[in-house]
Amino acid sequence: MTDQTIITPPEDRPNSLWSDAWRRLRRNRLAVAGLAVLAVLIFVAAFGPWLTPYDFLTQNLDARNLAPSLSHPFGTDDLGRDVLSRVIYGARTAFLVAVLVTAVAVLIGVILGAIAGFYGGRFDKVLMWVTDMTMSVPQLLLVVVINASLKQPITLWMEARYMETMNPLYRNSAIIDFVLVFGSMALITWPPYARLVRAQVLSIRNRPYVTAARALGLTNRIILTRYVLPNAAGPLIVAISAGLGSAMVLESAFSFLGIGVNPPTPSWGNMISDGLRVWTNYPHLLLAPAAVLAIVTVAFNFLGDGLNDALNPKGQK
Amino acid sequence: MIAYILRRLLLWIPSVILVMLGVYALAFYGAGDPIKLIFLRAPGDVAYDPVKIEAIREQAGLNQPFLVQFGNYLWNLVQGNFGNSLFSGRSVWAMISAAAPVSFMLGLMAMVVTALVAIPLGMVAGMHQNSRLDYSILGTAVTLWAIPPYVAGPLLMVLLLAVLPSGSVPYGWGGVFSVKIILPLIVLSFQPIALIIRQTRAAVIDVMTEDYVRTARAKGVPERVVALRHILRPVLTPVVTQLGLIMITIVNGAIFVELVFGLPGLGRLTVQALINSDYPVILAVTLIGSFLVMASNLLVDLLYPLLDPRATDPKAART
Amino acid sequence: MKTNTGERNGLTRRGAMKLGLGSFVALAAFGPGARIVMAQDGQVLKAINPAFSQDWSPLRGGGVPYRWNSIWNASAMYFNEKGEIQPYVLTEWTPSADYVTWTLKVNPDAKFADGSAITAADVKGSWELSAMPGTQNQRIDQVLAGVAGYGAVKDGSATDISGIVATDDASLTVTLAGPDPIFFQRLANHIAPIVKVSVARGADGNEVPDFFLGANGATSGPFMLESANLDTGELVWVPNPNFFGPAPKLARIELTAVEDNVTATQMLASGEYQAHTELVTSTIVQDLGPEFAAGAEIPTSQHFWFNTARAPMDDPKVREALILAVDRDGLIKASFPDGPHQKTDSVMNAVTGADDPAFTPYPFDPERAKALLAESSYGGPERLPKLMFVGISSPANEAAAQYIAEQWRQNLGITAVDMKPQQDQYSGPDQNAIQIFRDDVGTRVPDAASYLAGSIASTSGNATGKMSYKNDKVDALIAEALTKPADDPARIALAQEAQRIFRDDFCFIPWYRQTMSRWAAANVTGMEKNLDWQVVAPWAISIT
Repeated sequence: MTDQTIITPPEDRPNSLWSDAWRRLRRNRLAVAGLAVLAVLIFVAAFGPWLTPYDFLTQNLDARNLAPSLSHPFGTDDLGRDVLSRVIYGARTAFLVAVLVTAVAVLIGVILGAIAGFYGGRFDKVLMWVTDMTMSVPQLLLVVVINASLKQPITLWMEARYMETMNPLYRNSAIIDFVLVFGSMALITWPPYARLVRAQVLSIRNRPYVTAARALGLTNRIILTRYVLPNAAGPLIVAISAGLGSAMVLESAFSFLGIGVNPPTPSWGNMISDGLRVWTNYPHLLLAPAAVLAIVTVAFNFLGDGLNDALNPKGQK
Repeated sequence: MIAYILRRLLLWIPSVILVMLGVYALAFYGAGDPIKLIFLRAPGDVAYDPVKIEAIREQAGLNQPFLVQFGNYLWNLVQGNFGNSLFSGRSVWAMISAAAPVSFMLGLMAMVVTALVAIPLGMVAGMHQNSRLDYSILGTAVTLWAIPPYVAGPLLMVLLLAVLPSGSVPYGWGGVFSVKIILPLIVLSFQPIALIIRQTRAAVIDVMTEDYVRTARAKGVPERVVALRHILRPVLTPVVTQLGLIMITIVNGAIFVELVFGLPGLGRLTVQALINSDYPVILAVTLIGSFLVMASNLLVDLLYPLLDPRATDPKAART
Repeated sequence: MKTNTGERNGLTRRGAMKLGLGSFVALAAFGPGARIVMAQDGQVLKAINPAFSQDWSPLRGGGVPYRWNSIWNASAMYFNEKGEIQPYVLTEWTPSADYVTWTLKVNPDAKFADGSAITAADVKGSWELSAMPGTQNQRIDQVLAGVAGYGAVKDGSATDISGIVATDDASLTVTLAGPDPIFFQRLANHIAPIVKVSVARGADGNEVPDFFLGANGATSGPFMLESANLDTGELVWVPNPNFFGPAPKLARIELTAVEDNVTATQMLASGEYQAHTELVTSTIVQDLGPEFAAGAEIPTSQHFWFNTARAPMDDPKVREALILAVDRDGLIKASFPDGPHQKTDSVMNAVTGADDPAFTPYPFDPERAKALLAESSYGGPERLPKLMFVGISSPANEAAAQYIAEQWRQNLGITAVDMKPQQDQYSGPDQNAIQIFRDDVGTRVPDAASYLAGSIASTSGNATGKMSYKNDKVDALIAEALTKPADDPARIALAQEAQRIFRDDFCFIPWYRQTMSRWAAANVTGMEKNLDWQVVAPWAISIT
């Protein structure tokens, strides 16, 4: 998700389009700020465990609910754990959730949307019906039901594998949380991406250069990957940057409802929901994770808007 | 037109049955046994009695094979019987018909507030692209988007309590015309407003480059007239197509708002049902939620040709 | 064991004096004219309920509404906050010499809200109705399990409990299946309160649906339901004009559902509301003062129970290691740093005379714990199956479970611990993975033998469902204790011995003994509660 992938020029397209976009993006201060926040987030998520001043699990009952100070910049929580360390570790959770959910959703959306838009006909009808059906499910409901029904059997199965193999990977409960809960979230968030890609493909499909390519006898697959998809990339990138932000908010929403990452693993969501219980007494316990979450979400949105303006300089046409 | 609506309804029925089958299957094969949950949550001095559990299970018809249970459920549903809550024993229909008006009124009001606030602001921002005004509107919108309702709700409520210590607490449901609705409405509208401001702004920027707008402006037509006559209508089209998305945002947001402000609506009912694995209620809520989304999509498709005379095929609306 | 109505009035008067109202007010309250004065007084108690409770039947024997049962229902007898038994609908209870047959006398003045007399048939019918399987009373076993013919009603094959006979309008005889010296204590609670049978019970013997919402005439308690909106969670009670006890002081009780504890706390702190059904937050003392959460200790305690049938809890050394590795002073500090609950070492608590000086509390000994884990058949933390908690459904529970997990990590190197906050999604006690159940045990009679019979005897739900525990020695001792008269020291001694044997089986991490909080603001008097979670004297509640 670095900017590297964004500016990789697609074949047969003038490089200038992407470098122009990059130049325009750099002129947008808000977008640059968003990009900077994103970079910090990635850095913290990657190197978090080496950056934290304290262990995020170590409790100190003599230092419960301390207000922010020099030794604990964000204070301590109800078990005397350092909130800054937990927020930093939570960045890893947040980032993993956002990337995983968005990546799976985009993958499904792009493939189905492109096929539907490009081939049309009965294929399109069926896919659009599936999209409608998926969109008609109350999201929260589905995630909670999936979580309630599948998590335990999978946890037990993983535990059984661990006892057989002693491979610590099977003991990583985060894997279960992410793959299952947020994977299921991805399975219901793909339709907007599919629709977007389908619409783009529909509008590009009949452009002269695509018609020309077809006349030259190029296969559908080549036309699709070389000409159609690169053109749909702009709006998609904008949608992705917004999707990353809302995935993080979704994670915290699920934690508020009591599903999501299990304690004591910190996530911004479960820190917010813990903070909400005591925030009239210890506001820092709510403010620290909520502010960080808000900043990151805002950053993603500014970046999205900047990308939108940069990729479609005269509006979307 | 009517044939088209009927066809859409017919297409919706198999999909909602599929979804409900999925929910039922998840409940049946994986989720916590609701009957046992009732006992597990009871304090330790309540005897854990397998005989009693089986008796309740049999009474609720939960001991039959999966497809029989699901078939029975559908058959009852066709007859208009939503069954009884496993947890409270109350009729699901009674619970829903009490809760739904609250949510509908709240959602509808949020829609109205969103439209009245967001579309003008979005147009102002779009018509003054990259100005300071644009940035401040956009910045506010993005910040509103970033504050989840379950954080905004308690904060606003307790701040208000601090200001009005002896005043009426803005908690609970007093109807659409009660002052109690103001706070939930504000919190619920935050995210849709942010969404629509950005949609409108983008659409305005798009339209501003059109020849007829440029011509109108060049001819010296006043800005207000340009905005109302030339920009508003084409801008409404893409915004209206987002109705379904706004609907989803409001429905999801309502769950938290209802929880935070103690409103006896569908969202609170849903969360309670999920916590209790109360499947008759969950299925009924799924059905209603699915119908809502379908209906709003249908509405969009029907509105689309009215707003954009160029589109003749209603199906093209949601591309 | 015999009492009369005079004594009851005397006691209430004492209670009123204690509340600082003075004997004048207390005497006036008993005069027939005083009722009107008090009603015009117009005091309204506004209380908060933490849930949108859907089922307010007084016959459920549990759930959130149960905590308001004494407000609007009279029971056979009741315990006061000191654990002393008081007459109510029943005024006399006399056992036969072998404790098998009991003769009960109904208060001749007892009336329902419609002015009709409460008869022996109403008492019998209310108990039968509570025993019917369709009524789904959670705890009726604790009241009637020993009565001859109870089983037939409970399993649905009869509607009449043959062991209960109404000999005339004012007296009953109850025949038990075996001797029970404390049977009378089992009647002193609101698990099966007295309702007007002609209204509450249908021709088939089952409960008339929602009889309690419509028919105020069936009400026997000091207040009666004026309105109930289950969808908005608002209930209102007003004084029962025909109540046979002391006239209620409040003119009205209004209950409103507020699910969010922070909001509820703010509403209580602002003074708009004065009481709460059950408010459990970690900051309650800071927010609402010590009086709000204060109360008597009741014979109930909270612990973390180990299921001995599941790996790794099948190895006693592992169990011992897991217990010794937890600093339980820290456990209470992590969960209830400001009270109101206190740390405990034993299963049995707050039963008069049952504290056992010979009971050795589990020590905090990380070194020994480490050695035990190494000696165990699992050999160390790596090969230990993942430990799973259930019942972690409140902030205090979550804090305690996280503290225990951290102690195990620090002291034993165990990292694979799983818990679910807020929602308990594990399916049930027979799901074969969960090893640790957080749950409370206790009793509604201040009696050591019954306490253990309901928690560690192999016949209890706690022992079978949560611990898979059966120790014949423990069972035999408890069974013997149950046959001893209530005032026989052997009853307590045998129970203490059973508890010491249970201790050495290493099946639980002791946590806290429970305080029955008033959950009422300091200016509300008369909100003291008993071991049955009920307001002891709801007629005495007033706001100063």
